Amino acid sequence: MRTRSSFISPLSWSFFTLLLASLATLAQSSKAGKSASSTGDSVLVIVEPTKQAEYSIFLHGLEKKGYAVTIRAPKADNPLLIEDGLPNFSHVVLLASDTKNFAQDISPQSLVQLLSLGTNLVLTLGLKQNMLTSLAPEFSLLLPPPATPLVSFFPERADSPSMIPIDVSRQSIPNDILSVFPSQVTGKVWFSGTAFALNSNPLLFPILHAPLESFAADLTDASGLVSDALADASEKGGEGLWAGSSLSVVAGFQTLVGGGTGHGADAGLGENDQARAVWVGGSSLFSDEFAKKQVVEKIQQERGMKVVENPSGNKQAALEIAGWAFQEKGVLRIDEVTHHKVNQTGLVEMYTTNDEIVYTTRISSFNPSTRKWEPYSGLKDLQLEFTMLDPHVRTALLPVKGKTGLFFSHFSSILSSSPPLLTGTYSTTFRAPDRHGVFKFVISYKRKGFTHLHHTLSVPVVPPRHDGYPRFLSAAWPYYAGAISTSIGFLIFCTIYVAGEAKEEKKSKKE
Amino acid sequence: MSTAYPLPTNISPSTVANTASLLRIVAFGLISAAAIASRLFAVINFESIIHEFDPWFNYRATRVLAAKGFYEFWNWFDPTAWYPLGRVVGGTVYPGLMATSGVIYNFLHYFNLPVDIRNICVLLAPGFSALTAWATYMFTAEMKDPSAGLLAAAFIGIVPGYISRSVAGSYDNEAIAIFLLMFTFYLWIKALKVGSALYGALAAVFYFYMVAAWGGYAFITNMIPVHALVLLLMGRFSGRLYVAYCSWYVIGTLSSMQVPFVGFQPVRTSEHMGALGVFGLLQIVAFASLVRSHVSSKQFQNLLAISVVTMGVLGAGAFVVMTYKGWIAPWTGRFYSLWDTGYAKKYIPIIASVSEHQPTAWPSFFMDLQLLIFLFPAGVVMCFRELRDEHVFVIIYAVVASYFAGVMVRLMLTLTPVVCVSAAVALSTLLDTYVEAREPDAPEERTEANGSNADGKKAKKAGGAVGSQAGTAAAAAASSTISDLVSATRSSAGSPRQKGIWGADARLVIILNAIGMLVFFVFHCTWVTSNAYSSPSVVLASTNPDGSQHIIDDYREAYYWLRMNTPQDAVVMSWWDYGYQIAGMADRVTLVDNNTWNNTHIATVGKAMSSPEEVAYPILRKHDVDYVLVIFGGLLGYSGDDINKFLWMVRIAQGVWPDEIQEPNYFTPQGEYRVDDRASETMRTSLMYKMSYYRFSELYGGGNAVDRVRNQQIPKVGPTLDYLEEAFTTENWIVRIYKVRKEDALGRDLKTANAFAQGKKRKRGKPVSRRRAIV
Repeated sequence: MRTRSSFISPLSWSFFTLLLASLATLAQSSKAGKSASSTGDSVLVIVEPTKQAEYSIFLHGLEKKGYAVTIRAPKADNPLLIEDGLPNFSHVVLLASDTKNFAQDISPQSLVQLLSLGTNLVLTLGLKQNMLTSLAPEFSLLLPPPATPLVSFFPERADSPSMIPIDVSRQSIPNDILSVFPSQVTGKVWFSGTAFALNSNPLLFPILHAPLESFAADLTDASGLVSDALADASEKGGEGLWAGSSLSVVAGFQTLVGGGTGHGADAGLGENDQARAVWVGGSSLFSDEFAKKQVVEKIQQERGMKVVENPSGNKQAALEIAGWAFQEKGVLRIDEVTHHKVNQTGLVEMYTTNDEIVYTTRISSFNPSTRKWEPYSGLKDLQLEFTMLDPHVRTALLPVKGKTGLFFSHFSSILSSSPPLLTGTYSTTFRAPDRHGVFKFVISYKRKGFTHLHHTLSVPVVPPRHDGYPRFLSAAWPYYAGAISTSIGFLIFCTIYVAGEAKEEKKSKKE
Repeated sequence: MSTAYPLPTNISPSTVANTASLLRIVAFGLISAAAIASRLFAVINFESIIHEFDPWFNYRATRVLAAKGFYEFWNWFDPTAWYPLGRVVGGTVYPGLMATSGVIYNFLHYFNLPVDIRNICVLLAPGFSALTAWATYMFTAEMKDPSAGLLAAAFIGIVPGYISRSVAGSYDNEAIAIFLLMFTFYLWIKALKVGSALYGALAAVFYFYMVAAWGGYAFITNMIPVHALVLLLMGRFSGRLYVAYCSWYVIGTLSSMQVPFVGFQPVRTSEHMGALGVFGLLQIVAFASLVRSHVSSKQFQNLLAISVVTMGVLGAGAFVVMTYKGWIAPWTGRFYSLWDTGYAKKYIPIIASVSEHQPTAWPSFFMDLQLLIFLFPAGVVMCFRELRDEHVFVIIYAVVASYFAGVMVRLMLTLTPVVCVSAAVALSTLLDTYVEAREPDAPEERTEANGSNADGKKAKKAGGAVGSQAGTAAAAAASSTISDLVSATRSSAGSPRQKGIWGADARLVIILNAIGMLVFFVFHCTWVTSNAYSSPSVVLASTNPDGSQHIIDDYREAYYWLRMNTPQDAVVMSWWDYGYQIAGMADRVTLVDNNTWNNTHIATVGKAMSSPEEVAYPILRKHDVDYVLVIFGGLLGYSGDDINKFLWMVRIAQGVWPDEIQEPNYFTPQGEYRVDDRASETMRTSLMYKMSYYRFSELYGGGNAVDRVRNQQIPKVGPTLDYLEEAFTTENWIVRIYKVRKEDALGRDLKTANAFAQGKKRKRGKPVSRRRAIV
């Protein structure tokens, strides 16, 4: 079964062409299509045909955001994920979490290959073991024993304990991690499925934690007694109970591409090949059922408790999770890198030791609402390294405030809406070390949730030219004096010798 | 008097002189032609190509010089060598060779002769060999006479000991350095003989050229002072010596300091202190002789004794203090290795690892010098017979160079000229004696001999009082056989002789014998040159069963692959032997090359090669290595491959990281160096072993995979590679190139990633417990 929503209205066409024309003046922003994603519009959703209807709200939401959604059954042979070594889709969502067998080309290896080819993935885990549970450890996810769903008895509610409302606003997210859920996601998010622990992999970060009171346990076969189930679970878990907010139910993974040497075969920015994967503990988070399900909350009031029914945040949360995975937010890129000597312009092939170097870079981020790349000055902790084997210089690369540079004048005129302060330019001045060699300007900005910014540029730093050294040194005066006195002495000697010779000859003649 | 064979009597002396000089010119032309022609075997057998390793750098540098001019060359910083350290080429190179080629190139192009710079480089060495022959001729003519000089020129022209370094394509510093060495020595002898400041200054100019051309200039820097010192000790101090030495030393030293690579070394390092010391000593001695002419001898004796002792103590003390304080650099390791042949192996393995730094084997003396090595001592003895100042020089040179040639194979090169000179003197004396037409006077005639026209030894013996004047006359008269002939023909009466040869038959036996030996010498030289010294080593040759030549061109195949299939700035790691070739032929960035200036960097490469993959990978990534190149001769039986050099990599790495790399781990418990299934674990997991034998056994399709160099059977299950992947292997498997893989996209180590890609399942993980165990 395959439906591809591919109608484009004439109006959107003209808008599209207009957009293209305006973007053509930008340095590089070709990938921005009509969807909110920065990397492409085509989405493949792998879901059992019988269950497709359960996700209509989510799928419709995607189409509304401009994505071209294709549906594929897990066992169907078409469309292929990878054809001729190239990925067929920009994004793949795997909602078939409980499917045991998949078609030939959907395998853990092919999914990893997809990631390395730049395709974003949304992967949902089921309670049963399948291909994805064996893939998860490769992403440093630690899954609890099979068939142990996350359960929580709090807050008190009529639903089964494995159906948990998670309060997004109570999530504690460190400052340096991108918050995937913006403030629009109000209300609690229903979750049902398995939770997982995260190994210490810097590429992996939690998007949604499990509630504090939750734990992973199988309540069905434990003869109804919760305490037995708990004992069973902690026994199965080996190390103890899988519980608490250190478990995650949604985790994001940013692949490491361009983390290489940036030299030779590794040249290039590498950002275009970066892909994201999102692991979700249960596919029901995306389901219509949860999107419509009300959250019953008891609010303490002066006169007893009041029961309030709020709509759940699932619809928004699902789109936000998919949006992060599809590279809508937290997407940065380096547009341009320039460097030159202080008080000079133009590119330099090589620097001399102790030169003052100005390094400037321009960074933009993708704005999913305008679907444009916009200059981004929000990075406060960007650093520049000047490296030869080890960093010889490591300095803060601060955003340039105020006046727009020459390079960016027309840029900012197009984006007249953006305030003049935000030019997205970062610049620093530093002195080259007193050491010759092939140095690299390295920007390596890797923050959880953001695209990795990695850029290296080699430049040789050479010793001064033969005529580049100071000519007359006051410290060398002893030598100058020596040379001068010897020369004068030689002149005097010659004069005396020549003059004296004549007299002696006369004398000898007389003798 | 009688002659053994009739001599024409009706030829005027001027005709004889003219004919003789014409013959000399013709002979010299033929010698030059032979010298150049015998060096062209390499071009004829292979092609016009730069040989070996160092010449590739010289060639590359020359191209830069020709393209960009001298100032750019002087300031040339090569970011592609010693990545990422880079190499300041202009300041670390002896530019004489490149400058010479550059001058020739510009000269030819000025006259609109568009000669390719490569051909100039290839043919420079043969061209300069003709000049060497000329310089040797001049030098030997100063020793004995022009006929000996011609013999010496012929010897140096074709002797294998010199050809080994100067065949066409062997574009190395030695190609012009031997000419400069001999010519500087000639000018020094000339300056000493004449006492001329002009010749001294000329010697200094050529000394400067030598300094600019070859690191071996230190040989001249020490030979001339030693000669001067010996003359002083022999009591032969004279104004001539003073003038010659001082003009050479002052001008030579000042000009040599203009070479950027040498800089202040002439006043800072121990190797140059001898020349400075002798310079000072000469001033003292000159001053002393001045004083002696003014004060009485008794006073002078006391003064001399006191001053000599004081100055000696002061000078030695100053030297020690300055060395201790670090103002004078102490002797370098290379210097120590000249005295203790085991020193380098212990302390500087990088020097010991070079095959040409090994002590010389006896057969190579015969191989390189053949007949000359037997004539050499005879020639030295001849020098003792006359023992003028220049003969002292040859004797010292012979002793010193013989020692050095025994210590290092490559220093055979400095021995060769003096062997040629001495052998020429010996052989020429032999021929003089036996070609001489006059027969000795019969004993009864001798009694009647009158001393009126006294000549030669008889007069010297009879009247010692006549002394020096007669001696110089004798020397002048004996200066050439041809002038002997002239005098013989002129004076029908002749002079009485005590010694000599009677009859033509005795002469014929000896002369034919000598000519026979010379003919064999020529055959030997030709054979050695064509078979041993004319291989470019970039291209290998083997013989097909039908006798035709089969060219093995794996090196260039691999370098061309690199050039065509890798990014321009790709970094290629290999053992340092191949650095210059990769830079020259593949035009890619290298980590280390034959300019072994940074031991740590070489040790880093050694460590990467001798470590397991997991340890090597971070090193490779840190140095931005994209490709690794290894030489493997196991398939073809090419013994100069990296597995045979591997122990040197281990030793050099061990010198820097003794905790991580240990040589004994690479041997079997029995102490054998093996690559088969008995090889040690460390050996089998090392990167070098893995890269060499990766998929080697597959080549034999289940049969016995035999390494033909080490004659050992390689295990059927070969090594696996996780962090590198095979990129290219040449036709005969001599060069194998591996690509360094990027980090895994999921942040796993590549071994795990590979296991996953091959479908292996991972063990289920458990969360790390945050609780501390209660003890």
